[in-house]
Amino acid sequence: MARFFTLFVVILLALFAVELTPPAQSAVVIPWTDALALISARLVTVFDPHVVAFGQTLQSTRNGFAISIEAGCNGIEAALILIAAMLAFPAPWKHRALGILAGLAAVQALNIVRVVSLFYIGQWNLEAFEWAHLYLWQALIMLDALIVWLLWIRTLPSAAYRPAEAEPRSSRAP
Amino acid sequence: MTLAAPSTIGRFVLRTFLWLPPCFAGWYLGAQHVAPVLGAAARVLVELFRSGILSSLERQGQVLIFVTTIQVHPAPDQVGVLLVEVNPLLYTYGLPFFVALMLGARAKWAKILAGAAVLVPFQAWGIAFDFLAQIVRTGAGVSAQAGLLGWRTEFVALAYQVGSLIFPALAPVALWVAFNRPLFGALIGARAPAMGHHAGTVR
Repeated sequence: MARFFTLFVVILLALFAVELTPPAQSAVVIPWTDALALISARLVTVFDPHVVAFGQTLQSTRNGFAISIEAGCNGIEAALILIAAMLAFPAPWKHRALGILAGLAAVQALNIVRVVSLFYIGQWNLEAFEWAHLYLWQALIMLDALIVWLLWIRTLPSAAYRPAEAEPRSSRAP
Repeated sequence: MTLAAPSTIGRFVLRTFLWLPPCFAGWYLGAQHVAPVLGAAARVLVELFRSGILSSLERQGQVLIFVTTIQVHPAPDQVGVLLVEVNPLLYTYGLPFFVALMLGARAKWAKILAGAAVLVPFQAWGIAFDFLAQIVRTGAGVSAQAGLLGWRTEFVALAYQVGSLIFPALAPVALWVAFNRPLFGALIGARAPAMGHHAGTVR
């Protein structure tokens, strides 16, 4: 457990530091955030034609209400946490790669639900929007990442764990 | 790749979901009573990082108001001190999340209370570096008065990002894993010997 937590923290800090650098922001974070707004708008226009997306913004052409998708709302931090957890957990690389792909899809799919739901909650009630945006959805996205991680671990073959990969049983972490 | 039946995870998730609404309601209603404790902890962190910039800490409802020693000039003939407001709820929503996870795992209240106490430094971190980041964002003159220059500015920026984007959501989950190793082992089907050999039963 101690080895996992140590690895997890190191990998997460490294990924997070990289994410904050200008090259990563311009090559990954901003394009993904723009794409997220566009995907959300495309989905919403299936049942609501009064929605447009420009840059990181999703706007209703009916009442002018708009939301801007910012850092912390694009699902990237939750994705980084999930990636770090999968990389830190002892598993074959093939399973790690599949798990990361499936995990990213699961986190981002729920994040699109979050963006769309917040867009409509905000048009209904701003106080409810703040509540859902700042507190509730943050926890739900993290719960999603936790569920994906637990399910991923259950798909791992037991044979993947050779004694050398596991910590000695006598050295239990606190 | 073999897929084990995720029924135990399903039951745990369902219980957690059911506990989330009452936990969030309780957290929100009790937030103003917890704010002074968090404010005091944040003040300790601020003093450790940069002593002498805080003169007092006030509270208005759920909002913490840091009264600084930093002088500002709202008009040429006026002098005041900088007040910085921080909403602690932004950094404490992990508490109801943690309690819901623990209740979903049917953990004992002693563990839940211990976990809530362990969360305090992480929450205080977020509050403290929100306060310091606001000072840095106010401007170079204010930042210089506070002694937040060079590496301190960079550290404040990184610590604020970690405190606002990583700690609030991650700390509850990490604590839940650490506090529920038997259940965790059962949930993952004891796939990792070092993490799951204490596996117990899940109701």
